[in-house]
Amino acid sequence: MTFFSELGRRLLMLVRRHQFDRELEEEMRLHQELREQEHLGAGMSAEEAHYTARRHFGNATLTQERSRDMWGWSWLENAMQDVRYGLRQLRRSPGFTAVAVLTLALGIGANTAIFTLIDAVMLRSLPVANPGQLYRLGDNNNCCVMIGTQNGGSFVLYSYPLYEHLRDDTTDFSEVAAFQPFLSDLSVRRSGVASAAEPYKGEFVSGNYFTMFGVGAITGRALSSSDDKSGAPPAAVMSYHTWQTHFGGDPSVIGATFTINTVPYTVVGVTPPGFYGDTLRSDPPDFWLPLAADPDRWLFSAEPEWLYLIGRLRPGVAPERVQAQLTGELQQWLGSRPEVIPERDRGDIAKQHIHLTPAPSGVDQMQTDYAAALRLLVTIAALVLLIACANIANLLLARGAADRSASALRLALGAPRARLIRQKLTETILLAVAGGAAGLYVAYAGTRTILLLAFRGAHYIPISPKPSLPVLGFAFFLALVTGVVFGAAPAWIGSRADPADALRGAGRSTGDRTSVVQKPLIILQVAFSIVLLIGAGLVTQSLRNLEYQHFGFVTEGRLIVNIAPSLAGYTPDKLDGLYQRLEEALPRILRVLSASLSWYSPLGGNNANEGVYIHGKPPDYRWTAPSWDRVGPHYFETIGTRLLRGRAIEERDTPAAQRIAVINETFARRFFPKEDPIGQHLGMGDASHSGDYEIVGIVEDAKYQDTRGPAYATFFLPLLQTPPGEPLRGWVGAIELYVAGKPEDLEPFVRKTVAGIDPNLTILRVQSFAEQVNLNFNQDRLIARLTELFGLLALILACVGLYGVTAYAVERRTNEIGIRMALGAGRRNVLGLVLGSALTQLGLGLAIGIPAALAGGRLLAGQLYGVKSYDPMILGLAASILAGCAVLAASVPARRATKVDPMVALRQE
Amino acid sequence: MHGYEIADSIQRISEDVLQVEEGSLYPALQRMLIKGWVKAKWGVTAGNRRARYYQLTTLGRKQLAVEVSQFERVMRAIARVVQTA
Repeated sequence: MTFFSELGRRLLMLVRRHQFDRELEEEMRLHQELREQEHLGAGMSAEEAHYTARRHFGNATLTQERSRDMWGWSWLENAMQDVRYGLRQLRRSPGFTAVAVLTLALGIGANTAIFTLIDAVMLRSLPVANPGQLYRLGDNNNCCVMIGTQNGGSFVLYSYPLYEHLRDDTTDFSEVAAFQPFLSDLSVRRSGVASAAEPYKGEFVSGNYFTMFGVGAITGRALSSSDDKSGAPPAAVMSYHTWQTHFGGDPSVIGATFTINTVPYTVVGVTPPGFYGDTLRSDPPDFWLPLAADPDRWLFSAEPEWLYLIGRLRPGVAPERVQAQLTGELQQWLGSRPEVIPERDRGDIAKQHIHLTPAPSGVDQMQTDYAAALRLLVTIAALVLLIACANIANLLLARGAADRSASALRLALGAPRARLIRQKLTETILLAVAGGAAGLYVAYAGTRTILLLAFRGAHYIPISPKPSLPVLGFAFFLALVTGVVFGAAPAWIGSRADPADALRGAGRSTGDRTSVVQKPLIILQVAFSIVLLIGAGLVTQSLRNLEYQHFGFVTEGRLIVNIAPSLAGYTPDKLDGLYQRLEEALPRILRVLSASLSWYSPLGGNNANEGVYIHGKPPDYRWTAPSWDRVGPHYFETIGTRLLRGRAIEERDTPAAQRIAVINETFARRFFPKEDPIGQHLGMGDASHSGDYEIVGIVEDAKYQDTRGPAYATFFLPLLQTPPGEPLRGWVGAIELYVAGKPEDLEPFVRKTVAGIDPNLTILRVQSFAEQVNLNFNQDRLIARLTELFGLLALILACVGLYGVTAYAVERRTNEIGIRMALGAGRRNVLGLVLGSALTQLGLGLAIGIPAALAGGRLLAGQLYGVKSYDPMILGLAASILAGCAVLAASVPARRATKVDPMVALRQE
Repeated sequence: MHGYEIADSIQRISEDVLQVEEGSLYPALQRMLIKGWVKAKWGVTAGNRRARYYQLTTLGRKQLAVEVSQFERVMRAIARVVQTA
């Protein structure tokens, strides 16, 4: 009880501080006057009485302070005083403050930006209920369809019957949902609306998908199990982002009918904002559709394994036990299905298992893809921050030395050293907090830039660059730590001013404690900078090598149009007519030099591979299955792949004509090392088909899937020559156009032409071939641009630092220089004196930094393309740039030193 | 009593043996105010001057008794030691 009344009194005093001071002063004054009167009464003279009373009273100011201290708020008052003083000091030197805050903003901002990304990609869970209960049945992201046993025995893809079996038989999950690992292209048209079909992305999921995640619709309803039965009216759920951006949040969308891939669906609900499905990816699904609704899905066949599974474990259940149970069920199921596992593989069944992994973030595709890049970025950003902090420390040291006489005076007047240190530290923390606040803007801009770089080509990324609460906390914490750590040493050094210095002039000595700390900082800065510059040079060169390599095709002047006839309801018999009409109409567009059709185009993200059988040779299982593509006439000339021998696929390769094939160099080398491939035969499926296609031509190697490795062995078949019995798995997916002038300019004409042939034919994407290829290098480009940016930053900071330290040294030594010049030193000697020290720091920095860069380069070596991690040219270039800029930076104050007038210098204090 | 009177009376009663320094009087008074052992009120002196008058509270009296008994224990202990010496 007394505690609270005491606390109350203390708080009251805090509020009434000024009144308290006045009253105490009045009280003490009365006391002193009464004493004086007493002395007067005792017979002293007025003056004597006054002074005796004064003396007796003692140090009034100290007494007042001690009385005030009793109330316990002195720490707060001192802190407020420090803050006010610090702000005043900072305002008095705006140049220093601006440079310091800017430097810190860049350093803290860069780190905060990286942290925002790490938070969004690696740390956040799915925006669903209780993500900690979610478990994935599988431990990797192999995609997309498998048959029989799976890689390493770890099952990640499941057939629909197997999914049903596991779902129904395992009671430890409250729900197990299935979904496809990749998104489907949808051609969507709202019923009753005249406009053409639009392309969207969709995901087919099991009926209990939303129940499993615990996510309800914000309007309408989510999918339920009753929607996922064959024969049920097709229902679809729209994503919130799509609803807002493409349909303007129109409430009439709920319950409306949409024709999706020729099937009428009713949109029954919209997901809550922020929900993006089971995988963090750019361009998340616009629609979620039930598995049962699409007739193409392999619902009843046990062979194709094509679904990922995630389940919600009941609370209190041990995952290991469930894992063992699931594995047992899997093996039992596989053992009882001979159509899934052929005889020869039955021995492998015991190795098949289900690894239950916690999946609070769903499928961690992005985390896996970007983990290495994020790690690299964190390292680089931390390095830049350290360089920035070294600069700040140097600036503070210089400032502390300049303030030396003021500090000495304060110490002489009785200020405790700790108080002085605390005050200087407060100033540094103020700078750091201001830098942190400014850094938030830098972080926001930086995050947006990184997202745009990393996800070039995407329409929507479900990652927000706005700083969230953990991010704000991180920035503040980083700023505080930075301020304390890098302000402590300068504050401590600055407080070691000798009080006697206040009485005599400073600056006649040549020694200087401050420079002892400054020089190693500069050396470290130079070392960090050279590491970053070399890194930047290496990744930039690697990127250029990737972008300008010989691909085997030409991207200049080419336009790629992605279409999807199947989504518009085309069937195999109608395709012929479509191809013909396209092949007729496209070359007639103005400026089109040649046009062709194919299943897929190079580096567009698609691939088909299949084992081949060469007629007259035994089956060769040594090699991985070659890739293949179906292409129309003029394909190779349109994409710029050279024909080496024989002929390419032409108009004469109709279904009625002889079946032919064209192979690339790698295929020829691999399968026909000693003989002429022209005239040989190949086939797919089994050995009986090995005579199906006659090889009539060889084209140069071209990269279709992998930008870094060599081209795969590839063979090309005509678009129309499908042998009877072979299922038409693919459809024309790509139109290639070789145009004169800028390819993108032709987009509206192409769209018009295609719409003229069939308005329902959905165009998924139109982009130049160059852009399509460039999208493959998004991550490399991201790393290169950021490393370049950070390298430049480090360079500027190091040079600014070197300039500052040299300028400071020149100022401190102005006297000494004056004396030397008076004694006969020439301009050159002075220059050598000043520059010598700067060059030594530069040299030491390079000596430390270059070996460090070489060591670090070893770690980078795996990511580099076409450039060694110790490439001497890049090393030399980076070192010369840094040395050149550093010498330039140091020479400015050095030249100023040579212009010193000895008389002025000697007179200067 | 106000501050001067307190110092003065201590001096008088102890016959100039105990002289309270103003430097310790006022901080001590503040501490007692915080703890609630005294309460203060502004009043007017005989000479028509404004002064702050301090008065012991109930809590203060209790504390006084505690301090006095502690002091007496110490005095008795010292007296015993001195006697035997």
